[in-house]
Amino acid sequence: MANNNPVVKTNEIKEIRTGSSKLSLKVKNRIFQTGVLIWFSLFALVIIYPIIWLGLSGLKSNADFFLNTWRLPEEWLWKNYKAAWDAGIGHFFLNSVFITVVSVVTVLLLGSMAAYGLSRFQFKGQNILLVIILSGLMLAPQVSLIPLYKLLQAIGLYNTYWALILPYVAFQLPFSIFLMRSYFLSIPKELEESAIIDGCNSWKVYRHIIVPMGKPIIASCALLTGMNVWNEFMFALVFVEDSALRTIPVGLMNLRSQLNTNFGIQLAGLAISALPMIIAYIVFQKQFVRGLSAGSVKG
Amino acid sequence: MTKTFRNSRTAILFILPALLFILFFVFLPIVLNLYNSLFRWNSFDAGRVFVGLEYYGRLFKDPIFFTALKNNSLYAVISLVFQVGIGLIIAAVLEDKLIRRFQPFFRTVFFIPSVISIAVVGLLWQLLYNPEVGLVNGVLKTLGQSEWALSWLGDSKIAIYAVVAVSQWQYTGYMVMLFLLAMQKIPFEYYEAAMIDGASKIKTFLYITLPQMKEMILVGTVITVIGAFKVFDEVYVMTNGGPGRSTEVLGTMLYRAAFRNDEMGYASTIGTIIFVVTLTLSLIQLKIGKSGQEV
Amino acid sequence: MRRKINVLLAVLLAFALVLTGCSSSSSSGEESGKVVLKFLHKWPQPEYAPYFEEVVKAFEKENPDIKIKIEAIADEPIKDKLRVILGGNEVPDIMFSWSGEFARKFVRADAALDLTPYLNEDTAWKDSFIPASLQPFTSNEKNYGIPLRFNGKFFVYNKKIFDKYQLQAPTTWDEFIQVLDTLKKGGETPIILGNQSPWAAIHYLTGLNQKMVAQDVRMKDYNPKSGEFTDPGYVKAMEMLADLNKKGYFMKNVNSSSHDMGQQLFAAGKGAIFYVELEEFQTIENNMKGNWGFFPMPSIADGKGSQSFITGAPDGFIVSSKTKHPKEAIKFLKFLTNKDNALKLVKQIGWPSPIDGATNPDTALKEVAEGVDYMKKAEGMAEWLDTDVHAKVADVYLSNIQLLLDGSKSPEEIIKEVQKVAKQVQSEVE
Repeated sequence: MANNNPVVKTNEIKEIRTGSSKLSLKVKNRIFQTGVLIWFSLFALVIIYPIIWLGLSGLKSNADFFLNTWRLPEEWLWKNYKAAWDAGIGHFFLNSVFITVVSVVTVLLLGSMAAYGLSRFQFKGQNILLVIILSGLMLAPQVSLIPLYKLLQAIGLYNTYWALILPYVAFQLPFSIFLMRSYFLSIPKELEESAIIDGCNSWKVYRHIIVPMGKPIIASCALLTGMNVWNEFMFALVFVEDSALRTIPVGLMNLRSQLNTNFGIQLAGLAISALPMIIAYIVFQKQFVRGLSAGSVKG
Repeated sequence: MTKTFRNSRTAILFILPALLFILFFVFLPIVLNLYNSLFRWNSFDAGRVFVGLEYYGRLFKDPIFFTALKNNSLYAVISLVFQVGIGLIIAAVLEDKLIRRFQPFFRTVFFIPSVISIAVVGLLWQLLYNPEVGLVNGVLKTLGQSEWALSWLGDSKIAIYAVVAVSQWQYTGYMVMLFLLAMQKIPFEYYEAAMIDGASKIKTFLYITLPQMKEMILVGTVITVIGAFKVFDEVYVMTNGGPGRSTEVLGTMLYRAAFRNDEMGYASTIGTIIFVVTLTLSLIQLKIGKSGQEV
Repeated sequence: MRRKINVLLAVLLAFALVLTGCSSSSSSGEESGKVVLKFLHKWPQPEYAPYFEEVVKAFEKENPDIKIKIEAIADEPIKDKLRVILGGNEVPDIMFSWSGEFARKFVRADAALDLTPYLNEDTAWKDSFIPASLQPFTSNEKNYGIPLRFNGKFFVYNKKIFDKYQLQAPTTWDEFIQVLDTLKKGGETPIILGNQSPWAAIHYLTGLNQKMVAQDVRMKDYNPKSGEFTDPGYVKAMEMLADLNKKGYFMKNVNSSSHDMGQQLFAAGKGAIFYVELEEFQTIENNMKGNWGFFPMPSIADGKGSQSFITGAPDGFIVSSKTKHPKEAIKFLKFLTNKDNALKLVKQIGWPSPIDGATNPDTALKEVAEGVDYMKKAEGMAEWLDTDVHAKVADVYLSNIQLLLDGSKSPEEIIKEVQKVAKQVQSEVE
């Protein structure tokens, strides 16, 4: 790994004692702390305020929105949220849920199987397979946009849920396989060996040892895949045409031009789609962070 | 060792479904894309005219292509400064013992935007930037900085910066979180030693935190740079490449060529370029990653 | 070992079947024995969509063996989406299209059905349209589209503001400039323009091009096969637009507000003049309650084009050449454009109908009827520049017009680009 001798490094830091007394150090710390807190609070405000503004503006009438951009709503129009939901957000929401769930389940199943095959077996050509799968990580989806559009039409899947699910699965698989494979590699072999001696076949080993042991990474993969699929925009824009099949991000784009004259409802729609993720994040913070940190450890 | 399965057929059966998915939906399109770029065709006309490499020649003479390349690079550079550079500093400060008790609150808040869909964030910021009703100019005017109340997305000279800024708003907190996790893995003894030596905060950061974080910084850099060349959603939603073509990136340029200007062949050519650029960047990443580990 | 793998595959298969089961149940819903037509229009807005739903319902009641599946995509997204959809294998039988080159490119690609025989077969139907509304949908003397609306572009003004400065609706460009100047000096915002989607400014240029360039030259240039755009009138037209901006007659930050937002600003009295389509008159009236008037683009003294054209065009529907049910599709279009539904269109949503006599002061808003009169009396129509020239030329105009208005490009530079692309297009269109 990177550094085996950091202790040596600390030696380089020569004695740099400041001449100041303890008292002034305290003052310094106070100043530092206050400064930082002001800076961070401002930053936090810059992040939070637009989101709160979004939620509040969603409760305003058009005139209220235009004339009192800043103030609380004159009249709290909860019906805006209902209107946005009825204008299609509700439907898009369910589509997004369905597509996300199916994609995630498929990615987890196929991904964990492939990761198992790539981590617990030794065979010729294994490295080549690994390289092929992992190089899928590097490819930008834009490159595939037009060919996939034609391909999906050719196989008759264009403008169905599958036109989104199948490409999503394919594009999410490499990363999940990569993560699961490195995790499976760290599962001790002894368990597996004793299972084989007991007469378990490879499927049973996968089912009863690898999957249960790999739960944490599978959960992380589920979150990562779920988030990516939920937010995907470009494929969803091109591969389905019926409004009945649209997912939230594209649906919102359309809603903007559909409710062109009612900003309150538009904003309510945006708020409805942002909230579930924010709430999910705050509730499942630990899992989110673990998943994302697992997601970042590449190379 | 000897007890693991050696039956390659079983292994391949486990791998096969995933492999087929990837080959069919990820690799095959790349080959098809290359083929598509050799023809003049559009989505609704069955006829195709072979043009060979004509589009490649045209692309390198197309000023919009260079605008797009420049914008993608701008994305990369600015994101490196904010997400990696400032993100690192924020993470280090959050880890400081004077600030640490506030850390859970701040890191949670900073992270929130990165869970929202880019499309939602784009639509939200389009309104925030609006000179008539938007918050941005509202705040600036209240602070008495009216001369700074610009036409953010409507001025071709500044629109791209306004768009890039939204990405910083959205993803700096994400990087902070990654850096925090890496920092928390640094053994405390290193810091203790430094404390005994009385090293200043800045020195501790430079000589202990940074070297220990090398790998994560590299990862962050790579995610950011490759991500910058895959940009599509935010530009499409906020400006659709405008005003003029000033905020065009490779992704939106491809989309426009394909579905506005009826030039599927040209769009495929842009696709090939995106492929080459991201592949090159990934290979550089692998190279650096490897040599970094050897050091 | 093999048996276990079979189990594995069976599990996978079962899994896949469950999934397919889920999706097919949600996408089906067509009763057998019925002809199903897919109908794509561009008005998903809650103000307009019900009109189409009601007409479809009435049609289905009259024709129980035909079912119509409505799909609606709004103005801006439909420009891309139509291309995406037409490339697919589930092309709608009836779909929205602008007239002019926008429809003609589908004709060139054999994507649009020739409707001439159907129109000739039923002359009563054909004659019910104002002739000028069918003409823009023709190509080589053949009809390819059925107009739904007859749209024109007019300046609307705030009467209170005009009265305050004792202004009259201008009829010449010089008068127009004087009006703007007076407003400007009075501290008003003379013109509201929301050019976030650049078609808004292109609509100005549509009229200016037509008024500045001789008709035959312009027609030759707008034809993809012979476009050159070398007439100095194109540069002049663009300069006139740029001047409106340079002199501060447009509101500030035109590129960052949308046209919809502009409408709110006009309603709030934040500007004196706004350039809108006839279809928006009803909304304007709802917002302004009589406090408004309108005038067509003023005539330009040294312009080489006809000065009595009106900017505007019909838009409507084309039928896919791939449709399996052309007869039923025509039946529906006939129903949609019959007198009752035309009257309903005018009354319910205030749109000008191309059906002769449907838009009159009794059925429509007074101003809408007057607008239609203007169009009837006009020598001709200047069709939207962005749908009347080849898509690539339109794109050069559309993307550069924002740069013209933020001062980063000059008219000469832009027209040079237009000329270059027009040449390229010439070589590509057989």
